[in-house]
Amino acid sequence: MTSTSQAPRTPGATGGAGTAAGKATATGRRRLDLLPYLLVAPVALFIICLALVPAVFTVVQSFFRVSALDPPTRFDGLGNFTRLLRNDAVVSSLVNTGFYVLVGVTLSTLLGVAIAVVLQRPFRGRSLVIAVAILPWALPGVVEGILWSGIFDPSSGLINSLVASLHLGSGDTLLLGQHRLLTIALIELVQVWQITPLSALLILAALQLIPAELYEAAQIDGCSRWSAFWRITLPLARPGIAVAMVQAAIATLNVFDQPYVLNGAADTGASVMMQTYFISFQNLDFGQGYALSLLITLTTLVISFAVVRLVYRKVEL
Amino acid sequence: MPKQGSAPAARAALSRRSALAGATAVLLSAGCGGGSGASSGGSTQTSGVTITVALAGDPLPQAALDTFTQDTGITVKWVNLDWDSLQTKISAAATANTYFADATNVDWSRVGQLGRLGWFYPMESYLDTDAMAEDVPQLASFSTDGHVVGIPYDASFMVTTINVDMFTAAGVDPAPATIEEYTEALRQIKARGIVEHPLNIPFAAAEGLSTYWYETTAAFGGSVLDENGEAQFTDPDSGGYRAAEWMVGALTEGLVAPGSINVTDSQGQQTLMAQGQVASTFSDYSGTVGTLYDVPASSTVVGKVRYLPTPGVDGPAANLSNPDGIGIPKQAKYPDAAAKFIEWFTSQQQQTDFAGVNGPEKAYTGYPIPSRLSAVQAMTSGGNLVQGDALIPMLEKSRPVFEGGAPTWYPEFSNAVYTNLHAAATGSMSVQAAMEGVADKAEQLASGS
Repeated sequence: MTSTSQAPRTPGATGGAGTAAGKATATGRRRLDLLPYLLVAPVALFIICLALVPAVFTVVQSFFRVSALDPPTRFDGLGNFTRLLRNDAVVSSLVNTGFYVLVGVTLSTLLGVAIAVVLQRPFRGRSLVIAVAILPWALPGVVEGILWSGIFDPSSGLINSLVASLHLGSGDTLLLGQHRLLTIALIELVQVWQITPLSALLILAALQLIPAELYEAAQIDGCSRWSAFWRITLPLARPGIAVAMVQAAIATLNVFDQPYVLNGAADTGASVMMQTYFISFQNLDFGQGYALSLLITLTTLVISFAVVRLVYRKVEL
Repeated sequence: MPKQGSAPAARAALSRRSALAGATAVLLSAGCGGGSGASSGGSTQTSGVTITVALAGDPLPQAALDTFTQDTGITVKWVNLDWDSLQTKISAAATANTYFADATNVDWSRVGQLGRLGWFYPMESYLDTDAMAEDVPQLASFSTDGHVVGIPYDASFMVTTINVDMFTAAGVDPAPATIEEYTEALRQIKARGIVEHPLNIPFAAAEGLSTYWYETTAAFGGSVLDENGEAQFTDPDSGGYRAAEWMVGALTEGLVAPGSINVTDSQGQQTLMAQGQVASTFSDYSGTVGTLYDVPASSTVVGKVRYLPTPGVDGPAANLSNPDGIGIPKQAKYPDAAAKFIEWFTSQQQQTDFAGVNGPEKAYTGYPIPSRLSAVQAMTSGGNLVQGDALIPMLEKSRPVFEGGAPTWYPEFSNAVYTNLHAAATGSMSVQAAMEGVADKAEQLASGS
């Protein structure tokens, strides 16, 4: 990239500070310099008012007893946090959510990489395949929950029907609600189905930046396709993989629709976001709601930071 | 009670999530003063104003609203929100002390909570609720601490429905009058292969499971909580304990389909009962025969389902009420105008009109049973209430789930009820452990710890 030939002239460098022409230029430049700030101001104001101020407020209020049924609002130190950690339902939901994150991030990343690699090279109908593949991501979680509840139904669901017709079992197994790990795995499978397309696209975008010459050179050097995948594709896709993992972590930490539709409020699948809803809007204990929201936010930040540190690498091609 | 029949759980989940985000933003930005219940000091103007009425239902017929406007000078802006979103908005608006609506839903299950919070104007300040009480038996469900929080506008109560063809085919005649006869009849239906799983119990961990248990508890001659909020169901001989045992036992015995573990009450009605996959729902909603089972578009059992006096230990049991009411939030802009609307909306004349007694153009389809006995009687004599003769005695004897109103901590208690009963149904805990778990929660909540 070439740089411009002339350095910008500052008012002090005009040489004729008192000249009318110099003043006019300086005023014009000052106006010009303000323009970017003016343009950004509405969005910045929007973000400050609707994101930063409430975020700061949440942090502050999480240390206060804010309960509509127990006024007035008063300082409570770490009271909200200790009560949350003594609440069996909350602890159970934290464990459940941990499993959602583990299963969801792992599966969606692995599948995302696999799909991206398949879609990396042009082939006939690739655009159509991408369009179809993105559909689950576009569907609301509730709709997916309803779709999959039919698949998981113990009496007439697809899975049990297959099991019965293949003589692999009686075909009336209760898939959701009985065994905790199975319930979480199946619910998360539905969310993975939803978030994997975005992961695949993010990783695919990173793969598209890898020059074909690298693969050609590797091939000439006798590198196998598997080796090329390990030594070229994966390392160079790390920025995309990191972003995909972060978005998967955020989605799984905030999972609400799928467990609620598929398994109700049962302990076997309730997520921490569901508990936030129950505590805030059913029990009207907003202080604990703030505290739980803060915990989720901090967890999201920690996981995202860890992913970026461990996975992200700057790639210069 | 969350009306999952009108707001399916799935839709509720979607709305809950969006409502969660929106309401949190409102609360946060408003400073969340802790639910002062402070009045915004609305206008006393009752003419030339527009009021917002937010309910979980379709708008009233435009002609009726126009007539109301002509008579009073009050224009009504109707907002239709699903039940869950409505509750979230009520909480968010009251806590943030911001205007949301002039008149909105007061659900029976939140009466204690709303009464304590002082989020709604006492209705006795606006209407002659004493005079109303005789004609509106469910008004008691909306009274707490001597105040009427809302006026019931429908008479929803829990009833037992049976598919008569299936019971007859199993040789069950006359219809069962006790819970023992009822259970035996279900066994007969199963044994004869009429349907594999004759009983419908929505075991999903949702509100519908709690209300089902309350009604079954009453049928076993018990009550859920006493006036001090103490659990009445830990003794194995108590109605609540026996009800839970009966429900879980029905699942274990195969009277209830295994898939019912994930079925909500609305699914249970709309799929299992209306499609003829079960023979009976012990705790169904009043009005479902006319509004669902006898509607060809949504049912394959048209003309086959009827209400059965709910079988109890020694004969018909009481039917517990779970009506919807309407009240005036303290942030209302025009509380006096809203009161005029509520008076008109719940009047005998309007309820008769909405019930379709005076012509279909005045009927309000989302309105199965009026809250006024006089309107129900007019509906029945006009042939507008399907099986009204069976429903009226039940309505007359219906009683609140909690005498003296639902406790302030009802939502948390109900959550404990349905999660523990659900766990017992899945086999991950015993009935005894489930009852103890619910009782512990009740004790904890009642003691304020």
